[in-house]
Amino acid sequence: MTDLSNEPDEEQVNYTMMDKKRKYALLIEAHSKDLYKYALWLCKDKHMAEDVMQEAFLRAWKSLDSLREAKAAKGWLFTIFRREHARQFERKQFQYKDVESMDTIEDSHHMGYDDRPEAFALRNALKRLPQDYREPLEMQVLGGFSCDEIANILDISSSAVMTRLFRARKKMRQILGHESAPQLGVVGE
Amino acid sequence: MNCLDFKRLALSDPNSREHSFVEHSGSCPDCLKYVGGVRQMDADLSNSVEVEMPSDLMARLQLNQELTEEAETLAMTVANPMKRYAMAASLALALFVAGFMASNQFGAANSIGEDYEALLSGVVEHMNEQPITPVWSAQKANSNANTLLASYDPDMKLKFLSNLQFSRVCPMGQYKGLHASLETADGQVTFAYIKGESVGELLDAGYEGYVSRVKPVRGGNLIIMSRTNKSLEEADSQLEKAMYWDI
Repeated sequence: MTDLSNEPDEEQVNYTMMDKKRKYALLIEAHSKDLYKYALWLCKDKHMAEDVMQEAFLRAWKSLDSLREAKAAKGWLFTIFRREHARQFERKQFQYKDVESMDTIEDSHHMGYDDRPEAFALRNALKRLPQDYREPLEMQVLGGFSCDEIANILDISSSAVMTRLFRARKKMRQILGHESAPQLGVVGE
Repeated sequence: MNCLDFKRLALSDPNSREHSFVEHSGSCPDCLKYVGGVRQMDADLSNSVEVEMPSDLMARLQLNQELTEEAETLAMTVANPMKRYAMAASLALALFVAGFMASNQFGAANSIGEDYEALLSGVVEHMNEQPITPVWSAQKANSNANTLLASYDPDMKLKFLSNLQFSRVCPMGQYKGLHASLETADGQVTFAYIKGESVGELLDAGYEGYVSRVKPVRGGNLIIMSRTNKSLEEADSQLEKAMYWDI
């Protein structure tokens, strides 16, 4: 793989002039770790996360010419991933129905997650949020996206994103208030 | 901004750089503590799903792209000239057939074809470069092999092989492919799946001290390298039953 260790900050890279292969290598280097973390959380299964991620990167390669700005790369890639996830998850749902409901410490260990009780409580609290609230929170906290970027990806207004994030965190705190240990650093309502 | 507005924004965007938000947090210790708690929860949540990415995933993402690019290039070189130079192609084909028939007459068909040799030499080159093959648990080796094969072709599957010891995508001469090993009664047998154009037919050959088999399979070739005929047959028979396409 191309060594990109001395590359300039991705934000400063001019994608328009860049060779397609180099652009792709940069995309992998810069975003694959974040995307894998997000993928594993969404898929709840290592193999499926890898499958969906590989398929998403292949689709990204095929339409890479349409990506002009480095700063848009992450959002663009996550959008491709989410579409691919929706497509594959619909197809494979019957196989993963049971996986979706897995919540044990053993499962966490299998996934490679932190298996301390406080981490376990946080993940469960996130899972218990309604989909509309959970999705923007995952994007902001796990993906590092701004409210405007989330609005773009989800195709809703920024104010709707703000409202959903507000409700998501409020709900999380309610849930954790009952379930979590105090060392989580959560301030009460 | 009052404390209520601040807390509302803190729950929506705790890292907001909005001037009034930053200013209020500097002047109100309670609100600073509040937003600190929200940020801490975010950090804890993010850490709770922190995972190590599989070490070979980046290489697979790169490999998939290279294989796709190769396929695209091949499709383009095949498609365009055929339209423009159909006549010339027919002539070339006729010459090729004539040449092939002539070479058969003089016994040239007894040598190993270039395709076979490139596949065999690629696998042996890699085996020589990596004389030590790790021995994994069957669980890990099977799980890895299935994921790697699925990255080549989502329909391609491998039934559980209790004697599978290792599987990884490796460079093999001019190719990259799945390198795996099977334990047999006569010792370890190495096999490789290399995606690409399949060879015409199965070939058994002695190569660099190995008993080898190059076998066309869907979407590529299977190369089996063994020290004895018996273990070669045993491994091939196992793989024949284990590899399938879920279509």
